[in-house]
Amino acid sequence: MTTIIPFGPQHPVLPEPIALKLEIDDDVIVGVLPSLGYVHRGLETFVNTKDYNQTTYICERICGICSALHGITYTRAVEKLFDVEIPERAQYIRVIVGELNRLHSHILWLGLFADGFGFESLFYECWKYREGVYDVLERITGNRVIHSISKVGGVTTDLTKEYIDITLKMLDTLEPQIQNIEKVFVNNYTVKKRLVGLATMSKQLAYEAGTAGPTLRGSGNAIDVRNTSDWDIYKDLGFKTCVEDGGDCYARTKVRINELYESIKLIRNAISKLPNGEIATPVKGTPTGEAIMRTEQPRGEVVYYVKGNGTRKLERLKIRTPTFANIPSLLLTLPGAKLADVPIIVLTIDPCISCTER
Amino acid sequence: MLENTIEATEIKSSEELLKAVEGLKNDGYRYSTMMCQKENEGHDLIYIFEKDNKLKNLRYFVKPGEKPKSVSGIYLCALLIENEYQDLFGLTFEGLAIDYKGHLYLTPNSPKAPLA
Repeated sequence: MTTIIPFGPQHPVLPEPIALKLEIDDDVIVGVLPSLGYVHRGLETFVNTKDYNQTTYICERICGICSALHGITYTRAVEKLFDVEIPERAQYIRVIVGELNRLHSHILWLGLFADGFGFESLFYECWKYREGVYDVLERITGNRVIHSISKVGGVTTDLTKEYIDITLKMLDTLEPQIQNIEKVFVNNYTVKKRLVGLATMSKQLAYEAGTAGPTLRGSGNAIDVRNTSDWDIYKDLGFKTCVEDGGDCYARTKVRINELYESIKLIRNAISKLPNGEIATPVKGTPTGEAIMRTEQPRGEVVYYVKGNGTRKLERLKIRTPTFANIPSLLLTLPGAKLADVPIIVLTIDPCISCTER
Repeated sequence: MLENTIEATEIKSSEELLKAVEGLKNDGYRYSTMMCQKENEGHDLIYIFEKDNKLKNLRYFVKPGEKPKSVSGIYLCALLIENEYQDLFGLTFEGLAIDYKGHLYLTPNSPKAPLA
């Protein structure tokens, strides 16, 4: 006989509200029904009342973790509508701030994940390291959470020598710190016992399930928007896609840890190649037409669709966030798992409900 | 007249849509998402697929009162976005893998189809 129990919307491992109706037989999951809508904000409609420049600030407020990357994606989409090429220096600054965003997001996730399997001191350690990234972002942009680095036509803040120095110094401190916590996540017996072989998705299944980001790459799919023609700059910086073949919770964790090192490398390379010049180009007129822009956020590919109608307000803005793409994979990975493993499995898609409930 | 329109294959009927989506799946495309917007009393749907980092789009116009067919039978992951458009635009997708009946986001007391 099966029983249905609620998991969330308020649950110790869930920082944000999502509910799963779990159908269990003894302590094994046999069915799942996700439930959303607890904090839906209707931002896609709200932007219809705003100027396309003001919409940048709304997009940045979709999520407090990947705020900069939302702003960057939106502004790039509008620049595509205007067919505007922004200065090269601005492109590099966007990459640097975007990768700093990814760094603190992945370290945040590692901390939450550690807490999820009961390693509380590791959780504190991760979040302590994350503060260093936040301090740098705050110094560069003036804002701790909503960085407002991107605007249509370029960036709002230049990277001065002082900012470059503090960024490089922070990376020099952070790298050994990550090596320190990596040992626990990758080698610890208990952690491996909990993660290896758990909620495995084959390469094909993860691909067909439409997953994104580390959830997709943890199953052996080398798919990353940073490899697309919209982001040629990453090729110049020597970007390498982080992929793991295991398909389980352990593989998804390793992808995120490897991406931390990759982000550090990208930031250092971007700083060493940072070109001189302007940080923005004037953009005048009103957007017309439609455009799609994709960016690789910490949780995976975000898709922005914008449509302008010749006025200063957009006719339509549609955002497909990576968590929205990854939630359906829970329908495939949770059945067969034990109830005690549900928090771990849910956490390995790094759910961001703030993004999902735009 | 729009400039800068995205490249998309025009689809004329629900049956043609399912056939095209099935074909894309067989060709190894990954389902990315779907856009919906009001257009000429009906709704304009743009289905987005990805393969080798390149996008392929299908555009399908849903006539007023028409019930488009769900593609969640082909790509299960389409179920959330189709349910979202049932909530927000009042569309009805036939054959949805999991049908929230207009209550993915909205409660019974919410305004019905706020974007319709």
